[in-house]
Amino acid sequence: MVANQLPEFSEARLFTRRSLYSRMVEANGAWRVHLNLALLLAILVLGVLAPLLPLQDPVKPDPLGSLRPPSSEHLFGTDTHGMDVFARVIHAIRADFALALSSVVIGALIGAPLGALSGYLGGWFDNFTTRVTEVFQGFPQILFAMAILAAAGNTLLNVVLVVAFYNIPVYSKMVRSVVVPLREVEYVQAAKVASVPTLGIVFRYILPNALVPVFSQLPLSCAYAVQMIVGLSFLGLGVTIPTPEWGSMIQLGANQMIFGHWWPSVFPGLALFLSVWLLGNVSDLLKSLVVRRS
Amino acid sequence: MLESSRQWCLFLLKRLGFLCISLIGVSLVTFVVTHQIGDPVYLLVGPKHTQEMLDNMVRELGLDQPLYAQYCRYISRLAQGDLGVSRYTFNPVLSDIRLRLPATLELSTCALLLGVLWAVPLGLIAGRHKKSWAAKFADLSARAGASMPAFWLGLLFIFVFYAELHWLPAPLGRIGRGFEVSSVTGWYTIDSLLAGNWRAFGSSLRHLVLPALTLAFTTSPSILLITRNTMAEVMKSDYIRTAKSFGMPPQTISRYAVRNLLVPVSTMIAMTYGYLLSGTVLVEVVFTWPGLGLYAVEAMNHSDYEPIMAVVLLSAGFYLLVYVLSDILSAIIDPRIRVGG
Repeated sequence: MVANQLPEFSEARLFTRRSLYSRMVEANGAWRVHLNLALLLAILVLGVLAPLLPLQDPVKPDPLGSLRPPSSEHLFGTDTHGMDVFARVIHAIRADFALALSSVVIGALIGAPLGALSGYLGGWFDNFTTRVTEVFQGFPQILFAMAILAAAGNTLLNVVLVVAFYNIPVYSKMVRSVVVPLREVEYVQAAKVASVPTLGIVFRYILPNALVPVFSQLPLSCAYAVQMIVGLSFLGLGVTIPTPEWGSMIQLGANQMIFGHWWPSVFPGLALFLSVWLLGNVSDLLKSLVVRRS
Repeated sequence: MLESSRQWCLFLLKRLGFLCISLIGVSLVTFVVTHQIGDPVYLLVGPKHTQEMLDNMVRELGLDQPLYAQYCRYISRLAQGDLGVSRYTFNPVLSDIRLRLPATLELSTCALLLGVLWAVPLGLIAGRHKKSWAAKFADLSARAGASMPAFWLGLLFIFVFYAELHWLPAPLGRIGRGFEVSSVTGWYTIDSLLAGNWRAFGSSLRHLVLPALTLAFTTSPSILLITRNTMAEVMKSDYIRTAKSFGMPPQTISRYAVRNLLVPVSTMIAMTYGYLLSGTVLVEVVFTWPGLGLYAVEAMNHSDYEPIMAVVLLSAGFYLLVYVLSDILSAIIDPRIRVGG
């Protein structure tokens, strides 16, 4: 916030701790916050409630009704197997978001403590982890995932683990950058003098400072993870037909594109595009909460 | 500033040392994946085997030896350029890769050029005038490009420009059927120009334009954003304010500002290039562009993972190399870097 835009001074304002929500609205404007959060929430709710909604069966093939263009009966048309694209796009939210979220959470749960420890301890451990993360960030993501899945087996668990693996350096790097300047702060020194064990200092006193940056990174990581998972299943890795999932749906419709049947691929891609866009926006909103310490 | 060759040597040594250590790290990872996670023995002997066949294969591959010996064997093979043999094409992986590398390089270089030509000027304007329509447009296009799945954008392009408008050829390969271009560089556009074959040049260009545009649009946001942000930061700095208060003309102020952008922007461009060599995989599949990515995907579909690992190794190595080269370039541009770091 720029200095000349400071809100009017009042004691209530000075001494009450304002909620994260009101700070977010102040920094970004109510309109942007509400629109982005509402749309993202709508997508998540649609995904969770998909089995309860009056949709057509997403996995029921209909050989006679294949490749019908969008109509009132099939809002997004039908694919080569005659499955309803609209129902499949909605149901696919479940698979894609569940996989992405679990891999990001696993990555963050491993990466954040790793970054905190390496930042606090310093020395050879810090050097080692920094070097290793640097090497891994240079690895070609999709290709390396393909190699791992080809070697270790093409299962959903492996897909989640590979994507989680790519999230570890993101979080360890970020948490490390928060922790390093805190190493010399008075309250940490005081805890040291009070002979609090190292792990206690790191997890109870230092790590909470990294919560806001970590949480603001989560939606962005989810966006990347969704993109990667969809990309992998576009190549036939991970989720496969008939399970509703955007990447395999785009793959199924890709061959029809050159014949002018655009709907089986365009709608799942549009859903992916919209979700990734919203996740990026929400991450930007949350990043405005990060307090910069000089 | 006093230039000393000693500082230069130290800096170069440090960067090259980093490159060597990273390459060893990369080879360690690929070694673990090929030798520990995947079990090559079962893949090679097939589902019907006897214990004797298994034992023989283990001995043949040297898997009964201790790990460090296996790793040394792996490294010495790599050093001789032996990346294994593809079990599908029966060619040595190295010769397969030699055939396909120019295709990927041509595509990714063109995509990078397009992206830079689009992102850098737009980022400069957007950073200079923060409230202008150009800044809003830059924001929107960066977010769109970063959110757009590249392979889906490629499919949309194919639908519009091939299926509906018939302006561009079918997304099959790098050049139309019936064109013969003698290979000099392996880049069909350059080869056809060298041969003076204008029709072949047109055909290869028409095949190249859609995948290159797709990749340019989806990879340029990072360049665009870093150009815009550093430009906006530099415009707020003291020396620009001083120049403004002296009444310098806007072109002069721009020239002063742009000099400070060279290092971050060139680093980002280099990193994008390093990423592009492997980031083309999905787009190559969509356009059946016969490059490294398509090679790896075809190999994967035949559960043949020596080629995939070779491509992984190559692109990780390429990324690191570009990264170190861009560091050295930054040091040439900005003396503070080679002294400080």
